[in-house]
Amino acid sequence: MACQLNPAWQRKAVSSDRMAEISARFLSNTPKTGQDADVCRVIPFLLDNPELGWVTNDLCEMLTQKGHSSVLHQLHESAEGGLHTQLAEALRTQADDCKICLLPTTSTETVLANAFDHVVLLVPANLDAILAAYQRIKLLSGQNVPEIGIVLVGPRDQHAAWRFFRKLAIGTLRYLDVPLLNLGFLPEQVIPQHAAHDHHRDNFLTRISERLLRSEFYSTWPDRKTARENV
Amino acid sequence: MRLCVKTAGIVDREVLRTLLIEAVDDLTGSESQLLEPTLPWDGHPILVADAEHHPVLISFDPINSQSALLSGLQATEQIATALPWINQVYAALHKQLRPPRLVVISHDPPPGATALLAGCPKLKLFSYKVVRINEETGLLLEPVITDGDTSIGMAPDSEPPAIARSEEPTRGPVALPTLNEEEKGYFRQL
Repeated sequence: MACQLNPAWQRKAVSSDRMAEISARFLSNTPKTGQDADVCRVIPFLLDNPELGWVTNDLCEMLTQKGHSSVLHQLHESAEGGLHTQLAEALRTQADDCKICLLPTTSTETVLANAFDHVVLLVPANLDAILAAYQRIKLLSGQNVPEIGIVLVGPRDQHAAWRFFRKLAIGTLRYLDVPLLNLGFLPEQVIPQHAAHDHHRDNFLTRISERLLRSEFYSTWPDRKTARENV
Repeated sequence: MRLCVKTAGIVDREVLRTLLIEAVDDLTGSESQLLEPTLPWDGHPILVADAEHHPVLISFDPINSQSALLSGLQATEQIATALPWINQVYAALHKQLRPPRLVVISHDPPPGATALLAGCPKLKLFSYKVVRINEETGLLLEPVITDGDTSIGMAPDSEPPAIARSEEPTRGPVALPTLNEEEKGYFRQL
């Protein structure tokens, strides 16, 4: 019995069958197009601090490069008219054919006020930020709990990213009964303070954007025609 | 790398037994030994020897915490009266003739848990949740802790002393919720 771990915390051994199963799942789950051409997918991002704005900027560029035309719209809590008006204005003045709208904010209150059903938290890879993210999730879990995805920014490597995510995910599950979705990470080598924009950063951003779309981690917004009429 | 964590509902008694046996080290400490997976008494508790070769009874019920507690108390009494025989049968107890400790697991703590724990310091109560991480099923065991007790199960208290914080960290215009001692302890180290 000694050294025997609860199977919940044991990583599954990776076999070729298992990898094939995962690949098949991802390859067969291509993003939908056509029928929802007029629907804008909205992805709110809750940033730990404003300096993380580069992540949503670059992610927006990456999505557009990959054929999912995207716009970025900063959510302002104090703006008049609420989210509907803000978003309709953004769609009107920016790309007319956008399919995805990224909504970065640093305000948990704004996320709460708009009752999003999906939220991505950008979390720096340090214990203080993990604690702050937990507190934000605790605040969000007071109402209808949204689906929460996590992107870790600046871990040393994949193992460090895993440890930080696991700490947060087990904590939210244990104390708040809130499961989290791991959407990926951006290692410290690719953050702007350490490196100029290069293909390594693009690779990590591509993985995150693919996970967002393949796991359908977004809210569908009323079609832009309706949104424009509301302006 | 992708970790999908979900909670599951109440599980069958025998499934719970299997999960508890797999998680026995979390309940009774490392180097525990399983002596009997199913004792032939009410509630069919599990008998384990801990690292010090003392008997530990694990009584459980998927839903009914009162039943788990009562069955455990009855089994404890039965084992206490049969200690010589028990110590002959199970060599892992090293014939120390020590009375058993009781560990009770249920979905929710039994009524009066605080008073019980205050009166019986060796009694351990755990609530459980069944979680699915990717395709694996496991247990999330949470010790029922009274105000004055912060130890978890049989694990030695290795947490560093509490660090006094002058103020709660806040971000943005709204003060973030405060954390209780258990949450603070959990997030104190990676």
